[in-house]
Amino acid sequence: MQINTELLEKIVAEVLAEIGGGSSGASVATAAPEEVAGVKLTETGKAARGTDPKEVVLAISPAFATTFKKTITGIPLADVLRQVFAGVEEEGLHVRVIRVYHTADVAFMSHLGARLSGSGIGIGILSRGTSIIHQRDLNPLSNLELFPQAPVIDLPAFRAIGKNAAKYAKGESPNPVPTKNDPMARPRYQGLAALLHNKEASFIDRSKAPQELSVTFE
Amino acid sequence: MRQCVIPWIFERMNLMAIVAGIDIGNATTETALARVDGRNVTFIATGISDTTGIKGTLQNIAGLRASLGMALERAGFKRDEYGAVDVIRLNKAAPVIGDVAMETVTETIVTESTMIGHNPSTPGGVGVGLGTTISFEGIDAVRTDETVIPVIGAKHDYDFVAAKIREAIARGVKVAAAICQSDDGVLIVNRLPCVIPIVDEVSAIERVPLGMRCCVEVAPPGRVVELLANPYDIATLFDLSPEETKQIVPVARALVGNRSAVVIRTPLGEVKERRIPAGELYIIGPQGKRTVNVEDGADAIQNTILACCPVENIFGQPGTNVGGMMERVRRTMSDLTEIPIADVYIKDLLAVDTLVPQKVVGGVAGEFSLESGVALAVMVKTEELPMQKLAAAVARDLGVKVEVGGVEADMAIRGALTTPGTKPPIAILDLGAGSSDASFMRTDGTVTLTHLAGAGNMVNTIIASELGFESMELAEAIKRNPLCRVESAFHIRQEDGTVRFFGEPIDPSAYGRVSLLHDNDFMQPLMLGNINVERVRSARRKAKQEVFVKNAIRALEQVAPNNNIRLVDYVVLVGGSAKDFEIANMITDALARYGIVAGRGNIRSTEGPRNAVATGLVLSSVADGQ
Repeated sequence: MQINTELLEKIVAEVLAEIGGGSSGASVATAAPEEVAGVKLTETGKAARGTDPKEVVLAISPAFATTFKKTITGIPLADVLRQVFAGVEEEGLHVRVIRVYHTADVAFMSHLGARLSGSGIGIGILSRGTSIIHQRDLNPLSNLELFPQAPVIDLPAFRAIGKNAAKYAKGESPNPVPTKNDPMARPRYQGLAALLHNKEASFIDRSKAPQELSVTFE
Repeated sequence: MRQCVIPWIFERMNLMAIVAGIDIGNATTETALARVDGRNVTFIATGISDTTGIKGTLQNIAGLRASLGMALERAGFKRDEYGAVDVIRLNKAAPVIGDVAMETVTETIVTESTMIGHNPSTPGGVGVGLGTTISFEGIDAVRTDETVIPVIGAKHDYDFVAAKIREAIARGVKVAAAICQSDDGVLIVNRLPCVIPIVDEVSAIERVPLGMRCCVEVAPPGRVVELLANPYDIATLFDLSPEETKQIVPVARALVGNRSAVVIRTPLGEVKERRIPAGELYIIGPQGKRTVNVEDGADAIQNTILACCPVENIFGQPGTNVGGMMERVRRTMSDLTEIPIADVYIKDLLAVDTLVPQKVVGGVAGEFSLESGVALAVMVKTEELPMQKLAAAVARDLGVKVEVGGVEADMAIRGALTTPGTKPPIAILDLGAGSSDASFMRTDGTVTLTHLAGAGNMVNTIIASELGFESMELAEAIKRNPLCRVESAFHIRQEDGTVRFFGEPIDPSAYGRVSLLHDNDFMQPLMLGNINVERVRSARRKAKQEVFVKNAIRALEQVAPNNNIRLVDYVVLVGGSAKDFEIANMITDALARYGIVAGRGNIRSTEGPRNAVATGLVLSSVADGQ
């Protein structure tokens, strides 16, 4: 019961915020991106197909680390990026980040990343934390590894996602990242997740091509 | 009216009887269904099903019904139309059961954490660093003339660690190397002005002794440590005396083949390889009792058994693992046959040397070391299984007349002789799951036979222990299917190196993985960590060689005229394991050296190596004059 009240308050607050800024949502995305602490993301032009077999492409959603600053459980998105970068770097590869504007569907985002990746391996992460490791030859709705429950993905899991993506890119056969399952995640977070998705979807710009990002951690 | 009915009954009883030969084996129950018309036998269908329970027990009925039902359905009857069968002939199953066990006979023990010999997939940097271990928290207090190796716990972030080490280096401290708990080796080195070797993923970092002289070595990718795997180099690094050098040999040996290693000199620490007392075997033969120690290995055990041939009984030393295993087999057989335990005799034993990955006792990073082990298969023989009891129960259950046919080996030969291109004198190797049987038929029709321990189940045990997993289902799958590596979503590389392409994308769960290639092109990924095709393949082939090829030669030596294999001309392989995609070839190859024509049987030109005993049972019904 206590949870329900808490959740209800959250939802009400979100809905109010939504109604307040609802009509101007799309224009927010085109305005100067807000800064998020710990990481600086600068767009450097249209994302191109890579040829470097040492790269893993990380595709992030339209408002990742701009309007959205935290995952659904409050993990700062700068830390998420940092752990994915660390996981890939430890395996001797590097990450190229692109921001996808035309969709907020993590399957299509990560598949696009994989198709642009020199190694053929892409990672997709939504602002609320939902993630996928993808490979370019697979169907978009298939995947190498899927992490559908955003509330149970913690920082060590993001490190492991980076590490496994790099291992796939090297042609190794990693053991899949152990995924947790929390039966309470659905009742607790489903409403919030739906709202967060609606909010993220409001930043979609179907006419804008994916953009290359340069990433500096502060 | 009466005139019409009687000939019809007469015809049905004597001319058109339907006979089912059913062979209950250790693993499968096989049926051959035939129409017997006078002396003409026409086979109409076969059936196969898993044996339920231990063979010769009443639990077998469920498997028997399934197997017979399958044959009936294929012959155009209803699945449960058991009444269509006039006679069921059961085999007089060889009263043989086998059991398999693994004994590890060595273990590696590290005291005082003198070495870290685990193999992280991504150690940091490259080179050799020699210095004193210090706690990372104390790096600020280090004097500038010291050479140190910081020991870093997982609570520190890699950026922070790198900054601190940079600071220390700027002060003039020589940081020779580092030991790290989390998987941060590469990340830290990438943030340093110079390359130092870092061993990471050391899980029990708190057990690494501080203030001790220590050497860290990381080899370039694709190479293995050279200095720390050589006792004389370790002696050079730590100024060891000849006596101390002798003690360091197990350390060096344990580090052979690793890409990274740490050796720490502590006052009392050492690495020992201990031999576990696995127990003694007492083998009783015509010349009396001989004793052999299990830890002496498979060759010693096998030689002792040969010296005692024919073996009358085998006991294990009471109170040891081997003793326990021997008693367990005796008890199972005793329960089954209601023969007192003292009258159950173990007639054969097959030992195979294996390597077993075992956790190093006292290791600080969850190190594994390949220890030697011995796999044992034993075989128990008693006078007779309660087949008459089973036959009566089947007759009651199905309402069909049941006969117990001849000896299994006779039936197998009769069945095997339906293979085109065979004639007596001939030897049969029946390779099953529980035992390997051989029989030899002379021109005059006399048969000699033998049952040996060790077959399919033992191969599974060896595969599982060498690759370090428990599941027997997985071992069975590895035994039966060739390997491949899924290289992209559309192509695989098979174990012989050839590439195959697919039009449809392969299941992504197998992407990049070593997988088993099942018959219908289904790929089953092996989740055994970073394992390669070659390793699995060699474990699988070695197990088959050691069990089946060794047993084929051992068995033929026992049944051949004058115990001379060269006097055998033809060998036909039958049984479930002969169906395997490589065992038959291995045996054909090994026996070709003795000038023997050996090959997989093809029962009734259609059944392959299966159904020999069931076919023999049907054929013998005619010979018996029915």
